[in-house]
Amino acid sequence: MNITTIKNWAVALFSITILTSCGDDDPGIVINEPATYVFERNGESTVSFSGQTTRTLMAEEILSAFKDPTKSQQTIDAMFAHTEGSADFTNADLNVSDKSVRSKTAASSDLFSSNTALSAEIKSDFDSWIAEQVDTVFPNWELEASVGVAGQIQEAGGGSIRYVNGKGLELNQAFNKGLIGALFVDQIVNNYVSTSVLDAGNNVPENNAGVLSEGKSYTNMEHKWDEAYGYAYAKAADETDPNATLGENDSFLYKYIGRVEGDEDFTGIADEIYNAFKLGRAAIVAGDYEVRDVQAEIIREKISTVIAVRAVYYLQQGKAGLEQETVDYASVFHSLSEGLGFVYGLQFTRQPNSESPYFTNAEVNAMMDDLMTRNGFWDVSTTTLDDISNDIAAKFSFTVEEAGS
Amino acid sequence: MKKTYVIFKLIALAGMILIGCSEDENGPATDNFDRKAMLENWADHIIVPGYESYVSSLGELNAKAETFTTTPTLENLTSLKGAWLNSNLAWQKVAMFEIGKAEAITLINFTNIYPTNTEDLLKTIESGDYDLTSISKQDEQGFPAIEYLIYGVRDTDQAIVDLYAQEMVNHPYKIFLLDLTNRLETLAQSVLDDWKNGYRDTFVNNSGSEATSSVNKLVNDYIFYYEKHLRAGKIGIPAGVFTGTVAPEKVEGYYSGKSKELFMAGLDAMSAFFNGKSPDSNLAVEGEGLKTYLDFVQGINEGEDIGELINAQFDLAKTKAEALNDDFAQQIESDNMLMLEAYDELQKNVINMKVDMLQALNIRVDYVDADGD
Repeated sequence: MNITTIKNWAVALFSITILTSCGDDDPGIVINEPATYVFERNGESTVSFSGQTTRTLMAEEILSAFKDPTKSQQTIDAMFAHTEGSADFTNADLNVSDKSVRSKTAASSDLFSSNTALSAEIKSDFDSWIAEQVDTVFPNWELEASVGVAGQIQEAGGGSIRYVNGKGLELNQAFNKGLIGALFVDQIVNNYVSTSVLDAGNNVPENNAGVLSEGKSYTNMEHKWDEAYGYAYAKAADETDPNATLGENDSFLYKYIGRVEGDEDFTGIADEIYNAFKLGRAAIVAGDYEVRDVQAEIIREKISTVIAVRAVYYLQQGKAGLEQETVDYASVFHSLSEGLGFVYGLQFTRQPNSESPYFTNAEVNAMMDDLMTRNGFWDVSTTTLDDISNDIAAKFSFTVEEAGS
Repeated sequence: MKKTYVIFKLIALAGMILIGCSEDENGPATDNFDRKAMLENWADHIIVPGYESYVSSLGELNAKAETFTTTPTLENLTSLKGAWLNSNLAWQKVAMFEIGKAEAITLINFTNIYPTNTEDLLKTIESGDYDLTSISKQDEQGFPAIEYLIYGVRDTDQAIVDLYAQEMVNHPYKIFLLDLTNRLETLAQSVLDDWKNGYRDTFVNNSGSEATSSVNKLVNDYIFYYEKHLRAGKIGIPAGVFTGTVAPEKVEGYYSGKSKELFMAGLDAMSAFFNGKSPDSNLAVEGEGLKTYLDFVQGINEGEDIGELINAQFDLAKTKAEALNDDFAQQIESDNMLMLEAYDELQKNVINMKVDMLQALNIRVDYVDADGD
């Protein structure tokens, strides 16, 4: 048990005290927090996040397409920017959907509603990863990769084959981990738990009066919060109790909440996130928006921490690999590619009680440049990996050592 | 009500945290066990003699491969197979010592990665252009690749002899086979040379108890080998423990049918090392090793007899394994339950060693399971 954790508990105890006094000020409000994420009205569930499930499934199929060298750029682009009725996916349910992954990439209300230029720039980063995979990696699928030459490279011990560009970057990892930030995290912390979305239009008076969305069992505000929840837990075996099968069946945020939970320095974070979602939703039902917003800040801080911890973890894994006498480059490239994707995701995090991410787009781009300069991962220095790790950890309440093991 | 309950829960948790803190303050239990004497026993009576036997068996393998490729006959093929088995059995006795030079060159990854990738291997042979030092070629060399080339590359022994007897310029199969046997010998020799030219003393003198000390490192290597290679590689993975789907083609010794003999050699070597003995030793008494170390610590702590527990568990695992078919692939296909039972007995000693033994000896685990994606 370290001091940071104790400090966190002290903060938690303190916040609870505040919550109690809030309640005392509003003796009329009673929050009924359920044991699991089950909310009903007249015996009917009021929880719905089918759009999040759909986008998660679409994103999974795009990841598979990155590993299929017979796919054309046009095909993968169409999967990314799906339009209703196009036969882009193997899952027919996805084809009839009017949802798309690309339209919600870097598309949060708080960060991008008045910064569409940056949103477009970020979307084009994802487009360029698809294009480079098809243009440079697919043609070299059977070639051994080397400095400046895309191709395949195998991990030690007859291990996994990794497909990299000329700088040792696995573009599918950049896309996958980048999307965790640009879609999943951004939509949660900068959109659906934000007052700009929750309290939009007549949401507050309607929620207070129990006015439901047309033809639905939920109020608008309830639904917005559930959409945030869906970006974290849509693929859980039991959507009402996701931590029972934490991280399974998913390649995105849910999986990595599980990974961070598995590091004993961060054990408990999965419950903190889940409980904040659950209490926040119960507070909406009760009309207690102060409690709701406190939970939103917890969600922001903890989910941002997940991204930062994984960024540092993978950079440190890559560093450890480079320090071996016999360097397993495929394994190092894999770690650093995941690390780069999580670093990219830092621009979509959210410092609690602020309007700002932990790192700006410009700061993230500078870190990406440091990683990709000259021959990229073929000659990145361990000093660079440490510098970036230290810069990230310094903004959070964990150390490089805690995240790196 | 709800909030009061939450607060109560938090206070209870905070209390647990405080208790956790005081436990941690106990610090490392110091013991004055003669770690250096144990390291000397390991180096001089187990590790170096083990590598000497291994290198000498590889000399024999090389000689037989020369004879067979020069004069491909059924008789010479049989004696090459015998040399392959002997050297592979000798390897099982040193495979767990991935420290020093062996660690630096990742000896195990260039020696015994199975299943060998036969598709890539055949492409490599035919291209005639390859670099066996490349990490990408680790599953196309070593014992499993040699095994494929002398047991599995054709359906019958006669067809294999015929393949090597073909009149060809720069016969690619002959050249590749000799490259593989030569490389095994070169790698093993470099490790043995390193032990004999200074590393033995470095190893023995690094007798402290910090994470980088020889005892802490080798004990970690030992348990890692037990967990990843003996338990998972030889039994668990082909028996489908981790996926729920059996994979008989992933057994060690797939083409020779020698999986059980190789496994038993490995298991015997691991239990002998635990007792401070060479698996080739005729001595009935144990030398300074993990067993005597545990007995020593137990004398201080009056805890349960972990050493006896581990030895008893080794015996149980041996009994289970002895009942298996000589060819694990056949065992998996006829009755995989017996493989799973053997796995379960092996797994129990992971807990005994990785948790109980390391705690008693105050050694920290220095590896984590791979990320897996």
